[in-house]
Amino acid sequence: MSSVAHPQRTGASNDARLRKRYAAERRFHFAGLFAVGLSALFLVFLLSNMAWKGLGGFTHYEAAMPIDFARSDLMLDPATLKGPDASEVVAGADVEGLLSKSAGAAFGPDAAEMFGAAAQRSVGRQLIRDPGLLGRRAKLWLPVGSKVDVAAKQGGDGAIQQLVHQLRAKNALRRTVNIDFLTESDATDPSAVGIWGALKGTFLTIMVTMLLAFPIGVLSAVYLEEFARRNRWTDAIEVSINNLAAVPSIIFGLLGLAVFLNFMDLPRSAPLVGGLTLALMTMPVIVIAGRNAITSVPPSIRDAALGVGASKMQVVFHHVLPLALPGILTGTIIGMARALGETAPLLMIGMRAFIAAPPSGLTNPATVLPVQIFLWSDEVDRGFVEKTSAAIIVLLLFMLLMNGLAIYLRNRFEQRW
Amino acid sequence: MSLTIALAAVLAIAAIAGWLGFARASRLRGTTRLHSLPVYHAAYAAMWAALPALLFLALWSPVQSRFVDQSVLASPEGRVLPTFEMQRQSILSEAREIASGQRDAGFNPESTTLVPRFAEAENRFATIGGGIAILFALAGAVFSLRRSAPGFRARTGVERWVMALLVAASLIATLTTLGILLSLMFESLRFFKLVPVTEFVFGTQWSPQMALRADQAGSSGAFGSIPLFWGTVFIGAIIAMIVAIPLGLMSAIYLTQYAHPRVRSWMKPILEILAGIPTVVYGYFAALTVAPHVRDFGIAIGVSSASSESALAAGLVMGIMIIPFISSMADDSIAAVPQAMRDGSLAMGATKSETIRKVVLPAALPGVVGGVLLAVSRAIGETMIVVMAAGLAANMTANPFASVTTVTTQIVQLLTGDQEFDSAKTLAAFALGLALFLITLVLNLIALTVVRRYREAYE
Repeated sequence: MSSVAHPQRTGASNDARLRKRYAAERRFHFAGLFAVGLSALFLVFLLSNMAWKGLGGFTHYEAAMPIDFARSDLMLDPATLKGPDASEVVAGADVEGLLSKSAGAAFGPDAAEMFGAAAQRSVGRQLIRDPGLLGRRAKLWLPVGSKVDVAAKQGGDGAIQQLVHQLRAKNALRRTVNIDFLTESDATDPSAVGIWGALKGTFLTIMVTMLLAFPIGVLSAVYLEEFARRNRWTDAIEVSINNLAAVPSIIFGLLGLAVFLNFMDLPRSAPLVGGLTLALMTMPVIVIAGRNAITSVPPSIRDAALGVGASKMQVVFHHVLPLALPGILTGTIIGMARALGETAPLLMIGMRAFIAAPPSGLTNPATVLPVQIFLWSDEVDRGFVEKTSAAIIVLLLFMLLMNGLAIYLRNRFEQRW
Repeated sequence: MSLTIALAAVLAIAAIAGWLGFARASRLRGTTRLHSLPVYHAAYAAMWAALPALLFLALWSPVQSRFVDQSVLASPEGRVLPTFEMQRQSILSEAREIASGQRDAGFNPESTTLVPRFAEAENRFATIGGGIAILFALAGAVFSLRRSAPGFRARTGVERWVMALLVAASLIATLTTLGILLSLMFESLRFFKLVPVTEFVFGTQWSPQMALRADQAGSSGAFGSIPLFWGTVFIGAIIAMIVAIPLGLMSAIYLTQYAHPRVRSWMKPILEILAGIPTVVYGYFAALTVAPHVRDFGIAIGVSSASSESALAAGLVMGIMIIPFISSMADDSIAAVPQAMRDGSLAMGATKSETIRKVVLPAALPGVVGGVLLAVSRAIGETMIVVMAAGLAANMTANPFASVTTVTTQIVQLLTGDQEFDSAKTLAAFALGLALFLITLVLNLIALTVVRRYREAYE
C-alpha cells in the first residue's frame, strides 16, 4: 500500500507552524479591535473637540460699567420709553457713543472700544425696563465686546490683555450664561449673535418637509407594497426610488433651483422652497422604510381581515398600516434627522444670505441651523469660532434627540412576528 | 378675493357636502338597508367636492402669477418700463412684494407706480381662479349628493379616489427623477451652446471667470472639467477609501465575528452616530482642526508646498464619515454567508481568521464590493466637507498635501452669489451637476444590482 506522498511533519516544525498561525490569528483579532477602537476614538475626539471649543459660546463675560446717564447727551425722553415704540426710540439714540465715552473714562483710552452691539442692546433693554435710569448715575453689568470676551477666555495680546487684568483686579468682570445666544438672530458682531432665527427657520423648513414627505412617502409605500402589480411601470418606480435615495443631495438643490425658483418663481431662501427641496430628498427614505415595515406585517393579519369581509382598502388602512406605523415612524424620524443636518441643497436655493430677523412665515427669507454654521465658519473674526462650535453643539443635540427617539420607538413599539 | 379665501371656501363646501351626505345616508338608513355605511357617503361627497377643486387650484396658482405679470406689463405704466430684462424683472418683483405687503418701499421709483396695477390684476385673476374653483366644488358636491341612494356603492367610489391618490403619490418619485434629468439636461444644453461639449469633457483647464464686459480681453473663461473630476476622484474615491475600506471592513469583521454580543450592541449604535453627524460639522472639523495639522505635518516631512486646504485633510475626514457606511454594508453581506460554510472551514481545523479570510470574505465579496461602490458614489457627491476644507484651485496633482478642487465645490462656487442666470458660469454648474448625476446613477445601479443578485444567491 502506497500512501500519497505527504511530508510527515515532525513535532517541532508542526509546533512552529501552529505558533505562526495562532500569531496570525491574534494579529487579525487585534486589527479588528484596532479598527473599531479607532472609529470610536474618532467619534470621541470629534465630539470632545466641539464641546471644548463650543461650550464657552454659551457663556459670556460681563463688565461692571458706571454710566452717568444724567450727564449724557442721549436726548431721550423717559415718557417715550414707556410707549410701544420704545425699542425704536432707543435704537435711534447714540448709545454707542455714550458707552465708548464712559468706558474710556472708567478704564482708560484703550477701553473705549471694549463694548459691542451686545452691550448696546443690553443698555437699551435696561433703559426700557427702568426709564428712571436716565436721570441718574448707575452701574450696569454689560456684555463685553468680542475681542475682550475672547481675551478673557483664551488670553489675548497686549492692550486687550492689560484691560482684562485691570477689569479683573477691580472685580468688574464676571462670567454669565449668554441667554441672548439662544434668543437672538444673526448679527455682524460676534458678541451679539444668536441662533433663534436659524432655529425658527429650521423648524419651519422641517415642518414643510414633514407635511409633504410623510404622507406621500407612506402612500406610495402602501401602493408599491400592497396594490401594485409587478410590471415595467412599477419596476421603473422602484428603481427610481432606490436610486433617488442615493443621489447626492446637491443634485436636489439644483433641481430646486431650476424648478421651484426659476420655473415656478417661488421666493428665494424661503422655508417653503427649502422644505419642498428637502421633502423630495427625504421621501425615498420614507418609502423604503415604509415598505420594509409593511412587508414585515404577517399575511395572516390580512387574511383574517379579508375573511371577515373587509375590502382590500379597509384591510390596508384599518389593519396593516397601524401595525406598520412604528417602523414607518422610525424611518421617518431618521429621514427627518438627515434633512435637519442637510446644508448643500439649501445653499443652492439661496439660503445663504445674511438674515438678521427670524422668519415670520413660510415665504420670508430665512436660514437654517446647518447653513448658519456654514456661514459663521466662513467669518474671519475670532469671536465666531466659539459661536460656530456652540451652534454645532445645539445641532448635534437635536440630532441625538431625534435618533434617540427613533431608537426608543423601535424598541418600544416594534413587534417581532 | 385671494386664493387663500377660495381655498377656505372649497374646504368649507367639502365639509358641508360631507355633512349633508352623512345626514342623508343616516336618514335613509332608518328606512332601508344601505350598501355603504353613512360615513362612506360623507367621504364620497366631501372628496368629490374637494379634490377636483383643489387640483384646479394647485394648477392655477403658478399660472396666475404669469397672467398677472403679463397684464401689468401691458398696462400703460408697465409699457414705459426699461426694456433691459434684468432691470425690468427686479422692478416687477419689487412691485409684487410691495403689493403683497412683504415690504414697505421699493428701491426703484417705478415700482411704486406699478403697485396699484399689481393689486388690481392680482385681485382680478384671483377672483377668476377662485370662482372657478368654487364652481368645481359646488358641482362636485351636487353631483355626489344626487347619487346618494340606498343601493349606491359609496365605499367603492371612495376607494377609487384613494387608489388614485396612492398611484399619484407613487408617481412623484418617478417625476422627481425625471425632473432632475430634464432640468439638468435643459440647462446643460444651453451651456453646451456657449461652450463646446468636447472642451467640457476633455479640457484640462478650469477657470470659469467670464469677462465682465463684452469688450474685455483675455478672460473668456475655460471650462475643461477634467481637473475637477480628478480632484473629486482623488479625494472621494482614493484618499477617503484608503481610510474607510480597511477600517470599515475590519470593524464589521470584528463586530460580527469576534465581539461579545454586549459589546456589539454598544458599538454598533456608536458607529451609527458617526454616520448621523451632519456633514457641515465634519467640514468644520476638517477645516479648523485637521487641515492645520496636516499642513504642519507636510511641512515637517519636507513638502514645502503643503497647503492648508490639502486634499488629504478633506479626504481623511470624508473617510471617517464613510466608515459606518461601509461597515454596515459589509456587516449585512457577512451575516448573509451561510453558517454551514463557516462551520465546514472550522471543522477542517482552520483558525477563525483563516476562515474569515479564505471562506467568509470571498463569499461575501460581491456584497462588500457593492457597498464600496455605493460608498464611492456617496463620497464623490459629498459637498460640505470639500466646500469647507478643499481648495478652489483646479490642480491636476497626485500630491496629497496640495490643494485640489472637486465638482461639488465648483457647483457651490458657481451658483452662490448674485449673478444673472444665463451666464456660462451658472449654466456650467448644471452641466457639472448632470455629469455628477450620471456618474452616481451608474455607480448606484451597478451597486444595487450586485447587492441584490448576491442576496438572492444565498437566500
